[in-house]
Amino acid sequence: MVSFLAGLLDATVQAATVLLLAGLGELISERAGVLNLGVEGMMLVGALGGFIVTVVTGSYWLGFAAGIVLGMLLALVHAFLCITLKSNQVISGVMLTLLGTGITTFFGSAWVEESIDGFPQIAIPFLVDIPVVGEAFFRSTATDYLALFMVVVVWYFLNHSNLGLEMISVGEDPEMADTMGVSVFRLRYLAVLIGGGFAGAAGAHLSLAFSQLWVPGMTAGRGWIAVALVIFAQWRPRRMLVGAYLFGLLDALQLRSQSLSLTLGPDAPLASLVNPVVEFLMTPQIMGTYPYLATIVVLAYAVIRTKSDRLAVPSALLQSYSRETD
Amino acid sequence: MSENTTLRMEGILKEFPGVVANDHVDLSVERGEIHGLLGENGAGKSTLMKILYGLYSQDAGDVYFQGERLDLDSPQDAIDAGIGMVHQHFMLIPRLTVAENVVLGEREPATVFRDDAGEESWLPASIRNNGLVQSLAGTFSLGLDVPEQRIQELADRYGFDIDVSAKIWELDVGQQQRVEILKALYRDVDLLILDEPTAVLTPTEAERLFESLERLTDEGLSIIFITHKLKEVDAVVDRVTVLREGKNVGTAEVSSVTRADLAEMMVGREVLFEIDREAVDLGEPVLRASGVSAEDDRGIEALSGVDLTVRQGEVVGIAGVSGNGQKELAEVMAGIRDPTAGELVVSGTDITGAKPKRFVENGVSFVPEDRLRYGCAKDLSVMHNATMKDFDGAAFGDRGFLDYGKLEDYAETLVDEFDVRGVRDVTETDAGDLSGGNLQKLILAREIYRNPDLLVANQPTRGVDVGAIEFIRETLLEQRKEGTGIILLSEDLDEIFDLSDRILVVYEGEFVHETTPAEADRERIGLEMTGGSGDESASDPTASPAEVTQESES
Repeated sequence: MVSFLAGLLDATVQAATVLLLAGLGELISERAGVLNLGVEGMMLVGALGGFIVTVVTGSYWLGFAAGIVLGMLLALVHAFLCITLKSNQVISGVMLTLLGTGITTFFGSAWVEESIDGFPQIAIPFLVDIPVVGEAFFRSTATDYLALFMVVVVWYFLNHSNLGLEMISVGEDPEMADTMGVSVFRLRYLAVLIGGGFAGAAGAHLSLAFSQLWVPGMTAGRGWIAVALVIFAQWRPRRMLVGAYLFGLLDALQLRSQSLSLTLGPDAPLASLVNPVVEFLMTPQIMGTYPYLATIVVLAYAVIRTKSDRLAVPSALLQSYSRETD
Repeated sequence: MSENTTLRMEGILKEFPGVVANDHVDLSVERGEIHGLLGENGAGKSTLMKILYGLYSQDAGDVYFQGERLDLDSPQDAIDAGIGMVHQHFMLIPRLTVAENVVLGEREPATVFRDDAGEESWLPASIRNNGLVQSLAGTFSLGLDVPEQRIQELADRYGFDIDVSAKIWELDVGQQQRVEILKALYRDVDLLILDEPTAVLTPTEAERLFESLERLTDEGLSIIFITHKLKEVDAVVDRVTVLREGKNVGTAEVSSVTRADLAEMMVGREVLFEIDREAVDLGEPVLRASGVSAEDDRGIEALSGVDLTVRQGEVVGIAGVSGNGQKELAEVMAGIRDPTAGELVVSGTDITGAKPKRFVENGVSFVPEDRLRYGCAKDLSVMHNATMKDFDGAAFGDRGFLDYGKLEDYAETLVDEFDVRGVRDVTETDAGDLSGGNLQKLILAREIYRNPDLLVANQPTRGVDVGAIEFIRETLLEQRKEGTGIILLSEDLDEIFDLSDRILVVYEGEFVHETTPAEADRERIGLEMTGGSGDESASDPTASPAEVTQESES
């Protein structure tokens, strides 16, 4: 049981890092008022780009950097469409996800057979010896540590820096920000680019640290879960940490559950009734749907809460801004 | 041009597609004065000020401020020059604190990095004063301690009671406006623009604002005060410039002109403050409501068993302080809020609890209080809005198909007959782009042109300019002659007195007093509106209504 728990936690940390990086990026972008539904596409581009660069150069750090840059490049398209041309953010985002999926499937087919030496696991002395959690949390890749560190950075940035305050103001009331001499245009571009960089990093972590190989469509909807996570987190970095680990746990359960038996013994009361249900719920294919089911629950919860207006949605989310149109 | 002139705008021209918003406007403001900018809705006041604040760029003309020519590309330029603006709709972020709202854009670094921190900082001054460190600290850190102190000092100096660390949403409207003024003061402005600052304030809050403004001008600040209320010009303004249809029609010392003069300058013709109300014979009852109760949006009883009968050709004025059940009363009578008890009979048919559409079909028209949210679909065209209640009638096509030509003709008729201005093309102009008064005229046109049996009008003239007020009141009286029964809810007692045949005072969801304009005693009505007991005056035999009226007039 202890080894199962340790293994589960280990898988949770790895799965959570992907969601954490992508979610933090999406959070920044949305706080500035721009919804980015292209996360999935940006993650895939970052995953493939990072993988190719690592194969070619042999340096996973260069690969990781390439993933970030490619994510930002795709985000630049989103920024141009939504901020400069003021087109619909939802349509632009979905289009970019489709584009990212298409491009990576096309160019990625040649790289499926390749293998790399990705991010190694780094153990933190002493802490790693803590029972159960030590191995999971303190023997991880550099990107896992980085993601945790970024929670603090993003939290500090949004709450304790002028640039962060300005970014929030742009997402709450761009007209107000403009009258205070804050450049709505520049800050929204910056936020979307940072968001794209985070998504690219999440993708690169997936191919360079998590699985250490490239498979087309390997993000498997995690970009969409990141979008839902932002709602779960109520647009706050610290809650994002909780959400990412919760969803990471659901993801990990699916991988690790084969070694776990939850069925009742044949003599237990109601065993004939309960066991088939448990077995069905533990089928890997069914378990694979849990993160997505959880996403639906989170979104439904969000919609119900929105009516009571207590949700921390940035007030100007989805609104484009220009000065002389009112 | 006197030496004391601080701002000069010369020949400002601003065109929007199809409209000249400012047609070579000149404006000059002297140091330490409150300069009124008066004009009807859509006269170009806000446009002119947005140019001055760098939000719009002018097509021609120059701005000189404190002797220098200004090139304003953005609000930042205006702020740097020493110009601040308090917008009509508050520019505050409810979720942030007062201090955060005030310092936004000022790049206040954390206290240790402040160049004026002195002993409080452990960082050596040579590092702190380095330009790169300054710029990095201004971007990536944020210190609110020192700014909060400064804001508090400013607030104290001008007598604003504000907690600088409170969130904006915790403040009332008057306090929010003071935060807006603090935003400008924090930036050391020399000229403060106030765009219709009293639109959202209660009379008492407005009084307080006026006092603060005088203190500001005593300190040498100049103020531009945009308004369309003549009363306010009398109350605070030193000199006034009147705009009409984008043109400057004159500047005057307030002490040397009368209200009537100003009104005429604004509207371009003589304005009738008195309305002739012809006698009309009352006909059959169009509305019989008995024992009607209703709840407000929070589920608290707002209307407690009221009876109301309105007859053909009768205007029933409902007076009361806002929030005493007027909104719920209007909505129940218009059929968009279900009563919890009682019954409604409209023109002989009992339609209690029926869908709003039944009310419409039974000849009930409704002018809601909030015209932008409930009176129109602001992103749809004038045509859609004008025909919204009648498009499914036989006049506009049959069997589910609409005849757009007819809809357009109908909308154009309404726009012409009700003098709705600012409509370029009924199918192109959105209702939300019309100014307040013109939108209200359009809504009134839609509701009245269908010749209703009952018209429920809630605050029909709130926030519209004098010209439109006059028009709306005349229209209501004309419709009364056609035999429509009208329920008029208004917080403006003058309006109630001028238009009503019968006056009811509502207090805490009940009618507490009934009278007619001829017999009415204003003081008594004022007392009843605020819950001052009517019994007291009844128990005092000497205070007969007639005597009190005389006292108040003398």
